[in-house]
Amino acid sequence: MSDAALGRTPNVTGTKTFSINYGLFAFAIVALTILYICARLYQQAFGFSMGLDASSPEFDEYWMTLFKIELPVLYGAGALCWTYLFLTRDKNIEAITPEVELRSYFYLTMWLVVYSFCIFWTGSFFADGDGVWHQTTLRDTPFTPSHIILFYATIPIYLFFGVGSFVYAMTRIPAFCRGISLMHVFAVVGPFLILPNLGFNEWGHAYWLTEEIFSHPLHWGFVVLGWCALALAGVLMQIVGRFRELVPIVFKQDAASA
Amino acid sequence: MAIPKRKVNPKGETVISVSGLTPKAARYSRIFDFLVVAAVVPLFAGAFHLHVMLTVGDWDMYVDWKDRQYWPLVAPISMIMFPAALQAIFWVNFRLPIGATVGATVLLITTWLGRYANWWIWTGFPFTEGVPSQVIAGALLMDMALIVLRNSLFTSIFAGFAFGFVFWPSNYSALAPFYLPVEHQGMVASLADMIGYTFPRSNMPEYLRIIERGTLRTFGSSVSWVSAAFAGFICIFMHQLWWQLGRFASQTTFLKNGDVVKSFMGMKSRRAS
Amino acid sequence: MRTRTVQFYDVHFSKTDVKVNERFELTGKFRLMEDWPDAVTPPDIVFVSSVSPGPTIARVETYLNGEPARQSFAKLELGRDYDFRMVLEGRTPGSSHIHPSISIKGSGPLVGPGQWINISGDAHSFAFPIKTMTGLQIDDLQTFGLTNAIGWHVAWLAVAAAWLLFWLVRPLFLPRWLVLQKGREDLLVSLRDTGAGIIVAAIVLGMVFGGYVRANQEYPYNVPLQSGLNKVAPRPASPADAEVKVISATYEVPGRSMRLATRITNKGSEPLSIGELTTANIRFLNQGLPAAVANVDPTYPRDLVARTGLELSSDTPINPGETRELRVEATDAVWELERLVSFLTDVDSKFGGLLLLYTPSGKRVIAEMGGPIVPVFTELK
Repeated sequence: MSDAALGRTPNVTGTKTFSINYGLFAFAIVALTILYICARLYQQAFGFSMGLDASSPEFDEYWMTLFKIELPVLYGAGALCWTYLFLTRDKNIEAITPEVELRSYFYLTMWLVVYSFCIFWTGSFFADGDGVWHQTTLRDTPFTPSHIILFYATIPIYLFFGVGSFVYAMTRIPAFCRGISLMHVFAVVGPFLILPNLGFNEWGHAYWLTEEIFSHPLHWGFVVLGWCALALAGVLMQIVGRFRELVPIVFKQDAASA
Repeated sequence: MAIPKRKVNPKGETVISVSGLTPKAARYSRIFDFLVVAAVVPLFAGAFHLHVMLTVGDWDMYVDWKDRQYWPLVAPISMIMFPAALQAIFWVNFRLPIGATVGATVLLITTWLGRYANWWIWTGFPFTEGVPSQVIAGALLMDMALIVLRNSLFTSIFAGFAFGFVFWPSNYSALAPFYLPVEHQGMVASLADMIGYTFPRSNMPEYLRIIERGTLRTFGSSVSWVSAAFAGFICIFMHQLWWQLGRFASQTTFLKNGDVVKSFMGMKSRRAS
Repeated sequence: MRTRTVQFYDVHFSKTDVKVNERFELTGKFRLMEDWPDAVTPPDIVFVSSVSPGPTIARVETYLNGEPARQSFAKLELGRDYDFRMVLEGRTPGSSHIHPSISIKGSGPLVGPGQWINISGDAHSFAFPIKTMTGLQIDDLQTFGLTNAIGWHVAWLAVAAAWLLFWLVRPLFLPRWLVLQKGREDLLVSLRDTGAGIIVAAIVLGMVFGGYVRANQEYPYNVPLQSGLNKVAPRPASPADAEVKVISATYEVPGRSMRLATRITNKGSEPLSIGELTTANIRFLNQGLPAAVANVDPTYPRDLVARTGLELSSDTPINPGETRELRVEATDAVWELERLVSFLTDVDSKFGGLLLLYTPSGKRVIAEMGGPIVPVFTELK
């Protein structure tokens, strides 16, 4: 990971020219797109052929193996990234220059763009697939071919970027370290809670509901937590608010040096 | 990246000139615009589509759930929520009368994407079985009402109602052919019933449909318009409620962080607290 | 649970190899068990269906006891039998595992024995023509009406895109917010913009109501979605020629063997021989009885017929009026494979099944049986 994209400060204090590095951002979008498409292709290849009978050995081989691999890998990757962000934090965050701070705001925005991108694949694309899968086939396990991707792959991926954006902001941007952005907490913790809410979902399916009405109140926990996406508006306003102070300083310097 | 220089008044003032941004600052601000749009589109495609699927998904998903009693009622009530909140976010903070349209547009696009990639490619359902509803007509009316009325309360009253009310007619134009009658096994069925029956969903028995049942109806054939009017009524309140939620979500509150955490994160100075 | 709800029997697939667009029939009967478990909603609202991996088959017609079964049925009776017939059609080439199923509101689908149906041909050649009551001949139910629906959606997207672009080409978030902070709203939304809004609103209203009027003119004879519950009478009850009482039942876990001590009374006029024990689609046959073996349809899935068959402590027929105590043993790994040993973990450890008995003249007597079952975790001596 490049220092610039992670907002590390050390050698740039004297620079008067403002610039942004898009490399890591573009890489994340491309890599995620490939990852999601591969996940969908895997469902296409092995959903109906190996994933209909949870008691069969093929199911174990193709689906439970994937489940056992993806969970530690994806959560492990998240934990590594968050730890890295923390360890490489600016140890004197108050002292960063306006250029660095402005750049960090841009990078925070990019984190949030990638987070939003992940929300799309999870909340729309794979959730839609989950809906149609469960109305098509009979549910005989909580670990169905659509759940193994939706709940146990795409959710850890968006957590990677949601929590990542939070750790990034807290370790790189003074305002987000000085105070805790309420709306940022909502935007990250709401979707995060979808994961524990799965417990309620599966409990309900086990005891009450074997039929798939997608709009059943049992699923509304996910809905309320999904509403938290709106809270990113607050983060946007926090960013814009700080831009008002930073932009004149950064670009005045730039104009003076020109 | 070129910034359109729109002269919006006789004095030659533009948004950029009044905002005080230097040309380079304006360029970066435009980059920021792109980033925000790049976040808004997938974020609300995901969150709004999930919301719709899990609140009124079955009606929206299947052509044989699109009845006259429940579909025109529950679908707009659920589908006004995100557009109303987005309207507040875009209008209150930026005076952009596009929030509702943004919500409705990303929803329709992402819904069709799912129909293609999941319904057709994966499970093989014909597109006729999954024709979704659209709320772009109602959303456009909401944005238009806002730009004219410039007031959330009147927008709720007039455009919230309109959103719910036009749901039925604006969707009926697209779906009318699916209500043609056919005779099947000596009984009448609509084509929509037949589509649902012919291409079976193993886990969707016929009785699971929450649709108009029985024959006795006070208003006879105008069932759908009664539903439309009722939907409009509820949408008035939904709009205002979600407008307020959009405003709530735009707040810039920072909670006080603990000194220990702050110093842990790299904040040395005491002054900061 | 599955051993105590719906017992399918006489299930027959008219073909197992079909071409795309070729029809085949799935027929059979089922008994709704008298000793219905508490955890399963009673069959008050029932739908006759099939289970397939997606719509790989098309459903043409379905019947329950000869009544049309496109809609659901109200109040089927426990302890009674029903027969079903489904006319299906190959749609997606490949091998599809198809089951009959009985869906019960509140409990979901209870699935009958599945068979592999090989569908050959070209997927694109599938079409489902249908004629409407208005005389319109529709070539394919998969595509009819789609051009209109997608056309409307594209039209709405076009209007929305025009409106969005009208705004998105302008400087957006930071500058607009700064200008708003300076109280210059006049710069952000001009009178011209308001005028544009009024024009768009007029276009929208024109599209909404114009489209609605046009649709009504074009389709004046439309009907709402059809729904409602149908009634159907059960098959005539067969005379209770045999009464089966389970005295004790054990399931030996390591040996995968169900052992029953039964008391059977022949109440009919002919001697009775035990031919088969069937439960949850699994069949244990008395292989020494030709009538029982002949009762297995050639299309019945082989993996659901236990290889070892049924072992009886006495093979001689039970005479009319006689009551005999018999030990019945059904041993096969299929208990585990089909996950029927849920009574090991259920809060209500009971089982059920049908005992099929035959007279020398070939008459079949179906007797329901069941009761508590005790798992044995060590090998019985």
